[in-house]
Amino acid sequence: MSTHHHHQEDFLFKYIFSTDHKMIAKQFLITGFIMGFIGMIMSTLFRLQLGWPGESFWLVDALMGSWAENGVMAPDKYLALVTMHGTIMVFFLLTAGLSGTFSNLLIPLQIGARDMASGFLNMLSYWFFFLSSVLMLISLLVEGGAASAGWTIYPPLSALPQAIPGSGLGMTLWLVAMSVFIVSSLLGSLNYIVTIFNLRTKGMSMTRLPLTIWAFLLTAIIGVLSFPILLAAALLLVFDRSFGTSFYLSDIYIGGQVLEHTGGSPILFEHLFWFLGHPEVYIVLLPALGITSEIISTMSRKPIFGYRAMIGSMMAIAFLSFIVWGHHMFVTGMNPFLGAVFTFTTLLIAIPSAVKVFNYITTLWKGNIIYSPASLFSIGLVSTFISGGVTGLVLGDSALDINVHDTYFVIGHFHIVMGLSAIFGMFAGVYHWFPKLFGRMMNNKLGSLHFWVTIVSAYGVFFPMHFLGLAGVPRRYYTNSEFPLFDNLVDINELISMFAIVAALGQLLFLFNFVYSALRGPRAPQNPWRANSLEWTAPVEHIHGNWYGDIPEVHRWAYDYSKVDENGEYVGGDDFIPQTTPLGDNEKDGGH
Amino acid sequence: MSSITIENINSKADLKRKTAKPLLWIGIVSIIMFFSGWTSAVIVSKGGAPDWLNINLPSAFTYSTFIIVLSSLFFHFGLIAIKKDQKSLLKVLVLLTLFAGIGFVISQFLGWKSLYNEGIVATGSESTNASSYLYLITAFHVLHLLAGIISLIVVSVKSFLGKYSSTNYLGVELSLIYWHFLGALWIYLFFFLKYIA
Amino acid sequence: MAIIITVVVLLVIVTGVQILKIAELKAISQGEKIYEVSEKESKSQAYLMLVFLVFYFGFFAWQVVAYGDRMLPVSASAHGVGIDSLMTVTMAFIIPVFIITHILLFWFAYKYTYSSKRKATFFSHSNKLEMIWTIIPSLALTVLILYGLSNWNSIMTPVAEDEEHVLIELVGQQFSWGARYAGEDGKLGRANVNYIEGTNFIGVDASDANANDDVIVKGEFHLPVNVPVQFVFRSSDVMHSAYMPHFRAQMNCVPGLKTQFNFVPTITTKEMKEITGNEDFEYILLCNKICGAAHYNMQMNIIVESKEDYEKWLADQKTFAAN
Repeated sequence: MSTHHHHQEDFLFKYIFSTDHKMIAKQFLITGFIMGFIGMIMSTLFRLQLGWPGESFWLVDALMGSWAENGVMAPDKYLALVTMHGTIMVFFLLTAGLSGTFSNLLIPLQIGARDMASGFLNMLSYWFFFLSSVLMLISLLVEGGAASAGWTIYPPLSALPQAIPGSGLGMTLWLVAMSVFIVSSLLGSLNYIVTIFNLRTKGMSMTRLPLTIWAFLLTAIIGVLSFPILLAAALLLVFDRSFGTSFYLSDIYIGGQVLEHTGGSPILFEHLFWFLGHPEVYIVLLPALGITSEIISTMSRKPIFGYRAMIGSMMAIAFLSFIVWGHHMFVTGMNPFLGAVFTFTTLLIAIPSAVKVFNYITTLWKGNIIYSPASLFSIGLVSTFISGGVTGLVLGDSALDINVHDTYFVIGHFHIVMGLSAIFGMFAGVYHWFPKLFGRMMNNKLGSLHFWVTIVSAYGVFFPMHFLGLAGVPRRYYTNSEFPLFDNLVDINELISMFAIVAALGQLLFLFNFVYSALRGPRAPQNPWRANSLEWTAPVEHIHGNWYGDIPEVHRWAYDYSKVDENGEYVGGDDFIPQTTPLGDNEKDGGH
Repeated sequence: MSSITIENINSKADLKRKTAKPLLWIGIVSIIMFFSGWTSAVIVSKGGAPDWLNINLPSAFTYSTFIIVLSSLFFHFGLIAIKKDQKSLLKVLVLLTLFAGIGFVISQFLGWKSLYNEGIVATGSESTNASSYLYLITAFHVLHLLAGIISLIVVSVKSFLGKYSSTNYLGVELSLIYWHFLGALWIYLFFFLKYIA
Repeated sequence: MAIIITVVVLLVIVTGVQILKIAELKAISQGEKIYEVSEKESKSQAYLMLVFLVFYFGFFAWQVVAYGDRMLPVSASAHGVGIDSLMTVTMAFIIPVFIITHILLFWFAYKYTYSSKRKATFFSHSNKLEMIWTIIPSLALTVLILYGLSNWNSIMTPVAEDEEHVLIELVGQQFSWGARYAGEDGKLGRANVNYIEGTNFIGVDASDANANDDVIVKGEFHLPVNVPVQFVFRSSDVMHSAYMPHFRAQMNCVPGLKTQFNFVPTITTKEMKEITGNEDFEYILLCNKICGAAHYNMQMNIIVESKEDYEKWLADQKTFAAN
């Protein structure tokens, strides 16, 4: 035993203002999940309204109070719920919750660094996120209610309290909260990029990095390039709302009078918003794809197929994500030639996506798949990525988009390809790296049950939405009952709502498993999944600096699973070879 | 099992030397994206407005441009000085940079004042998008510049306390990179506002 | 109510904890490493993969059968036929892709489940395979893109000035629609929110001579069959979107901006009643861009009829000047 005096941090700095990346990862995870559960409860509430419009529900009454008289929510509060559900899920759960948790946890551990480049900025990043979450939740309680203009907050609706009550104080708080959120996201991304480029351990070349790290790197780069644009857009909206400028507003007659604003254009907002908005899809998706690449390889005891192609396709997706934003605006009256260009760039994304899908499938081929909950969710992700991805070819085609734009077809598409894929990636990550987060194991049987309930009910919710869309049902409708045209779709809406309730209840299995395992789960061994990457060489208990003694040196890539020699025997005697193991005498390194 | 010792944790100074500059550079990239968002917005707005108001920039903005170039030169020679261990020269040059920076802010205020006197206002029914953008973009540049001035104050205090030497000038370098960036950003914005907006 | 629910939830949690603990203790007493996924467990999950595949395809097929006839009827506009066949071609591409990839995914997931007797195959890359699944999608996409864009370009070309057509302006406002016909001169009078007053709810400029013969209607508007209709869209408050699903037509209404779209209606309301077998069928214009509390109920009926009936109807409407 060493006699070094171990510095005893006090509670405040260990658990609250921690600069340790592992603690910050846990903070992001738990805050993100709390926000996610709130967002999910919101969706359950509005699904009750959509499934059985006008009926009184005890749950709606209990949770929404004066927003829902006699247990039936008011139409503008329905829109507030939809708006907050979207905002919370996209930004707070799937951006900060997903990328914040796993970038923080895995970047230093998988590249072999003591911590992030700047622990202080990292701590700030979390606390800005926390502040932003609190502000966003407070906005639910203010007069007029929370922001109600949709998560895309298109002006003029979002600019004028006369247009909808939620565009008053609720919208102001939304803008403040999102600005704080952007600062948090930028501070995080800065750190991730610099850490990956500068603090890799000896031998950890860029082509030996696990795909998780590549995904986090590209995500952070997209974030640094696109989030400032959202801030720029939001600030112009703030000025229009509060200081009498007219960047987005022109020719408006509302509440019996003509407004002074002239010369602005709401289309400008859409351009700025979607310049972030579309890359945001990949900010959400890439970390999930990175996580599953790692898990599918580890759990099928095979190297990931086409490592370089996986990196290349992620780069292609990241690049293309910046030149496709116009496909959200085909029916805004944009120049048809521009529409054609955006159709072309958008459909190109299908190519790297197809490469990724086939590479995942080939990785499973002739593998030796161990079914932990993480493997189940990873395979589930490949399924959702395909199911939601193929309909992108419909929506990305400007001519087809005309008739399905803003219908439930879109809702079905993006919830499956972005929402489900990202949350499946996140669940997979939590099950897989729970031992690294909490030093304990989650219960596998409960996890498997959670997976099956989730995937069945999630497809039950989102698949029928395509049919609603093809029947012409617009999104963001409080009820479909005002149109005789939609009268024969009532049972579809009921089915979706029933699946939504099952899906929500199914998540309680996860919540229970998570809390129980974090407190009482069996202690984790050093390397429970027998994986190659560096984080499993670090001690189970969390220590400042990640490794006792020197940081391990890396001699190979992270995917030497089931490598055999000429005699068909495992190299190194087992079906995995940690990155820290030097190459054997006659061993080929496979170009890594 | 051994505990962690100071030897096997990268020392803080070491870590800073390795990561401070890249952190700053990427931060600068995000600021560039922010301003390119707004300048693109100007182009989009202008394209949609046949009655776009062409504003002649006040002469004060031209003086600002010279002042900020001058300040960057001062600071640049400051770095060269400290690399040669000329500590007192650094003090003088950093102070000159600081004064020039404050001069730039004052000059910008004079510019806004003369715009205002010409009846070009930022907000309200008298304003146009062209004028709102002009005020907003220049004001947010000054906001970013204030951060630069704070860093200059820190550098000057530290140089008077003799904290820098030919082997330890990372702080000067970081402040200098950011200050050069602010100058370059202003020159871009100046020409953009003069000839494109 | 709240107390009962709290008690029930607490009981469920306590029971859950006890069950988990017992299961873990049992596993430990039998010498298992409880965190490890046993071969048996992997096997049963692999079977579930196959079960799921069958369920998923079954669910898909069931929806196609059960919901298929509730989709929008045949396109009631000329260009919509093109959109529908483009949709058919796209579906003919994506549904097989969806089915084949899912079969591969879940079949491999089932077949290659863990066995301690087997070794996984070390297979890290193959340039040939990767080329195949880069090039084949690229070729398929080229076809889709070219086909899609040829449709798009013809749809977005405005009606030529000298061609016989009807010019209609649709104005969205919270939470109703107004339609304005250009009248005999074929020209719409100037309009702007500044002129909105009383019954002049869409803000037509009375001093513009072109406005005199304009016809403004609410509640429903009529279209002649087989005559090109050129639409101009405006909004007088927030953004709206004029969505006419049966005609495969949609365009946003943006305050401060005029947008346009055109189509040729090809099936009259009466004919569509027969096609759908629904006596009450009406074409509809609805708002498809979130615009406020009553967004869900912002509608206007569209009546497509013969040219003669249409002209008779239009002649019965009061002109702007007469109002």
